[in-house]
Amino acid sequence: MCKNPHQSNPSHFQGSAEEEMTASTVEETFEQYIKGMKFFDPHVHMTARTTDDYQALADAGVVAIIEPAFWLGQPRTGLSSFKDYFATLVGWERFRSSQFGIKHYCTIGLNSREANNEALAEEVMEILPLFLQKEGVVGVGEIGFDDQTALEEKYYRAQLELAKEMGLPVQVHTPHRDKKKGTERSMAIALEHGLDPKMVIIDHNNEETVKSVLDQGFYAAFTIYPFTKMGNERMVEIVKQYGPSMIMINSAADWGISDPLAIPKTAALMKMKGIADEDIRLVSYQNALDAFAQSGQIKESDFIHGMEIDQSLKFNGNTVLRGGQAPRVNKNSLIIR
Amino acid sequence: MNISESLFQALSAQCQPKELDWLRDKSAKDANSLSLSFVMVPRFIEKQELENEVLSQAASILPDWNWNGWTLDRLARVYLLSLCQERDLSQEEYIKKINLLFDTAELNESVALFSAIPVLAYPEAWMNRATDAVRSNVGLIFDAIAFGNPYPKTYFSELAWNQLVLKCIFNDKPIHQIEGLSERNNEALVQTLVDFAHERWAANRRVPSQVWRLLVPYLNPEILPNIEKLIHSDSASDRLAAALVLAQSSLPEAKTLAEKYKNELPAVPTELWGALEKPEPIYQPA
Repeated sequence: MCKNPHQSNPSHFQGSAEEEMTASTVEETFEQYIKGMKFFDPHVHMTARTTDDYQALADAGVVAIIEPAFWLGQPRTGLSSFKDYFATLVGWERFRSSQFGIKHYCTIGLNSREANNEALAEEVMEILPLFLQKEGVVGVGEIGFDDQTALEEKYYRAQLELAKEMGLPVQVHTPHRDKKKGTERSMAIALEHGLDPKMVIIDHNNEETVKSVLDQGFYAAFTIYPFTKMGNERMVEIVKQYGPSMIMINSAADWGISDPLAIPKTAALMKMKGIADEDIRLVSYQNALDAFAQSGQIKESDFIHGMEIDQSLKFNGNTVLRGGQAPRVNKNSLIIR
Repeated sequence: MNISESLFQALSAQCQPKELDWLRDKSAKDANSLSLSFVMVPRFIEKQELENEVLSQAASILPDWNWNGWTLDRLARVYLLSLCQERDLSQEEYIKKINLLFDTAELNESVALFSAIPVLAYPEAWMNRATDAVRSNVGLIFDAIAFGNPYPKTYFSELAWNQLVLKCIFNDKPIHQIEGLSERNNEALVQTLVDFAHERWAANRRVPSQVWRLLVPYLNPEILPNIEKLIHSDSASDRLAAALVLAQSSLPEAKTLAEKYKNELPAVPTELWGALEKPEPIYQPA
């Protein structure tokens, strides 16, 4: 059903033929491998997703997510569009997520593509501090390079300074094109500005970039995203090779062909391929939590046992969520009531 | 004692000494620092539910103000907002400052702002904000304007008031938490509620039983058959609502109807509508 002829990538599959067979046969029931596991997706663009995705995330054990501010696909033409988008991330989207019992955090920043509109970028820089101080804003992000222009560099540097001043972690988007040099340059600039590498999460890594990122003491994030970024079979091999320390995985699910369940699916594949439960927990939950909790804005007790324990959400002592927990719809039912 | 002093006194009953020190320090600052402190509150004030000792102070600060469901950080934010009007700001500057907080508010900040509306200066300036909050699909924001908040009953037009009550029922929330429910009740609202009940019945859904209390002062022979329908309902709550409406109405036809069904109708409890003041969600989570 969810098989895709383009999906297998034999040149990178380093397991045995038997492993490959197992991985292909059980693909549709991956849930049985991750029962009881909890996940933290530190990069997912929920404004671009449907409520069905929230339901699926909750069912698969995702308890907390981080939504980085990014490019909407359509360029913004005025400051108000940025302001309303940032307000959505700390307001409406946060509420939407809470209806499914998922704790929603975000990072706020001027993305690299729109850094190229200098007049607008200047205005956006002025309102960033206002949003970066908000409750539940766990970093500056996603920022970095796209085309690696001079303007991109200017605003990357300015936002690194802002992060340093405010004591916030930085979520760095590394470019799709000329990735290796772009990643090195992003790290060098961060070090030049005096950022502690453990406050910087270098995102969208691959086999070619990971070693240098880890060697220099940065967090290395991997985006499991079909076709253009990492596949999860390759991810398993990376964890086998480098171990779980300072590594985290994310879905970066957005308006493109992407998969919000990338973390639970990758965790299932790791489990099947013999990676220890504790290592799976580190790369799919704990390391992301540790990295972004450096903002002082994450309280694990708010979500680890489900969001109902947040007293402020209780309704007159009753367990009905004040916001109204979204009623579940049986998707297999033909009847709609 | 003015309002900000009373709010500080209420906070003193529950805050830790170092939380109070922080608030004291910030409350001495200018309006710009106050807005910044408003944003920073959760970093310094614990998110605890308010204790009864604090809750009991609300209504003495402002009649019909009810902090049920509030947390300490929300109260601290309302306190900081109440200080803004004591700073040397023109009306224009003050409104601009508060509007900026609304426009850039994070979810909990929005809730605190709507909770503070009854103590902000220039009450009419917040009318559009308040009616927008009634339109909000964010449950917490709706609750902040609708429940325990004396602003709507004091300032809303009849049209806005009726939308508030209808939206509350539509949102599956119990209406008794709205302040001024009896005072602002009106015939137009009752007529709309009867039409609404008919729509629900056509869809095989029901109306929360306590909603029928609003019919009591406006009961007439034309809407009386709705009450007769309730008497035959499968729901014990509906039958109790029917008994209460008939017992409280002065309409002679209501007495006749009560007499006709005296064996079917449940006894009227001493707590009256209190027995029906509970959530009755129509759309049940599966």
